[in-house]
Amino acid sequence: MTDTNEQIRQEALEWVLASQEADFAGWDALTDWLDADARHNQAYDAAMAASSWMADMIVAAPALPQPANDETPALPSRARSWRSGYLALAAAILAILLIPLWQMRPQPYSVITPNGQTRTIALDDGSRILVNGGTRLALDRSEPRFARLERGEAMFIVRHDDSDPFVVEAGDVRLVDAGTAFNVVRSGAGLDVAVSEGAVIVNPEGENVRLNPGRRAQIDGASGRITLSDVAASHIGGWRSGQIAFADAPVGEVAEALERTLGTRVTVSPELAAARFSGILQVAGRHADALPQIAPVLGARAVRRAEGWELVNIDAQP
Amino acid sequence: MLLQERESFLRFLRARGAGDAAEDILQDTWLRLATAQTSPVAEPRNYLFRALNNVMHDRYRSAQRARRRDGEWIEINTNDAEASDAPLPDRALAAREALAQAEAVLRAEGERVLDIFRLFRIEGLGQRAIAEHLGLSLSTVEKDLQKAYRALIRLKETQDAE
Repeated sequence: MTDTNEQIRQEALEWVLASQEADFAGWDALTDWLDADARHNQAYDAAMAASSWMADMIVAAPALPQPANDETPALPSRARSWRSGYLALAAAILAILLIPLWQMRPQPYSVITPNGQTRTIALDDGSRILVNGGTRLALDRSEPRFARLERGEAMFIVRHDDSDPFVVEAGDVRLVDAGTAFNVVRSGAGLDVAVSEGAVIVNPEGENVRLNPGRRAQIDGASGRITLSDVAASHIGGWRSGQIAFADAPVGEVAEALERTLGTRVTVSPELAAARFSGILQVAGRHADALPQIAPVLGARAVRRAEGWELVNIDAQP
Repeated sequence: MLLQERESFLRFLRARGAGDAAEDILQDTWLRLATAQTSPVAEPRNYLFRALNNVMHDRYRSAQRARRRDGEWIEINTNDAEASDAPLPDRALAAREALAQAEAVLRAEGERVLDIFRLFRIEGLGQRAIAEHLGLSLSTVEKDLQKAYRALIRLKETQDAE
């Protein structure tokens, strides 16, 4: 009996997941399944309730940034629209009631961008975070002057306050602003910080390295070693305008940047891994299918793979 | 124009527990969609099924809510006047706590499970799109979503039982 119930729950779960897809078309098959056993409908509603409940709570929480998403068909948003009025009202009531609470309790939320999609987050204090594709950023409404970059790339344009500096954490590294616009890339364990305005202090309690405009620090995740170099301030955060600049960068790093911008997997063949690239790539308005045109600039050829593209040596035989 | 489908819709509504109300629900929902329509819908049949499914689920939730008028489980997405009698700030606080707990439960299944749940239920991406964007296989996404749902169902049952 327990097994049967367990089986019903599993089937209900699968039906809920399938029918929550925007393009679900199996309504008649779902009807058959519901009709097959009196317990099916209850199990279906229970599974649906658990997920709807949490989803509604999150939607009702104010200021969760919504991504521009042109892949989702219009249908689900319209299906939701007749609830959104109530949700907005609920959100407004919550917002009024909870302002004092937020200042005391952690209110973490994540901003996640798929590859190829960027997003701008306006913080309450007037600071802005421009988030590149393929990025995961953890923020906290109760700590508006703090962000944690878990992976990917973001440009921080921060309103400076001497008494309450903006702090970006990435792995073990702490970046503290001193009046600032700066770009941060996190890939694997490594970190790459470049400052275009003001200054950033890297690990104030440790190495305490000050980066002025036009300076860049690359921090090796494994050794913690910090390498400093110069970078043209106008190139910093160039991904925002579709120009990504590299100075003697490993091709792997270039591939990651292309991945974030073009929205496709880009891997590098082993024989090309040691190659380096200096220059500016124009990627404005370009998509994954532009990779074969971009690759020769890197001394590479783009080969279609099951999951995206691979950059191989330009002379390699197909 | 969907009249010939009427029986399929009614059968679905009855299977979803509508009983004698099936005819009325179909009529109301159909009218509401027809008057609210601003642009043509690509798949009107699926669209109406989805709307009916949501109506039935809302009815289920209202019934649950009525059963636990003074319970701990607070619904935020309430569009009726039947919610808890507790003062609003307390309810909001309880809802916040419940959300934090639900997030913790999902996080315990792994950060990726929480991410995928959000992308699916909040940002409305399909499972295939999520798999592509995160570079995962479709079955991994599906398994993670199942984990998330199972964890939430468990949590909800514990809370309902209290």
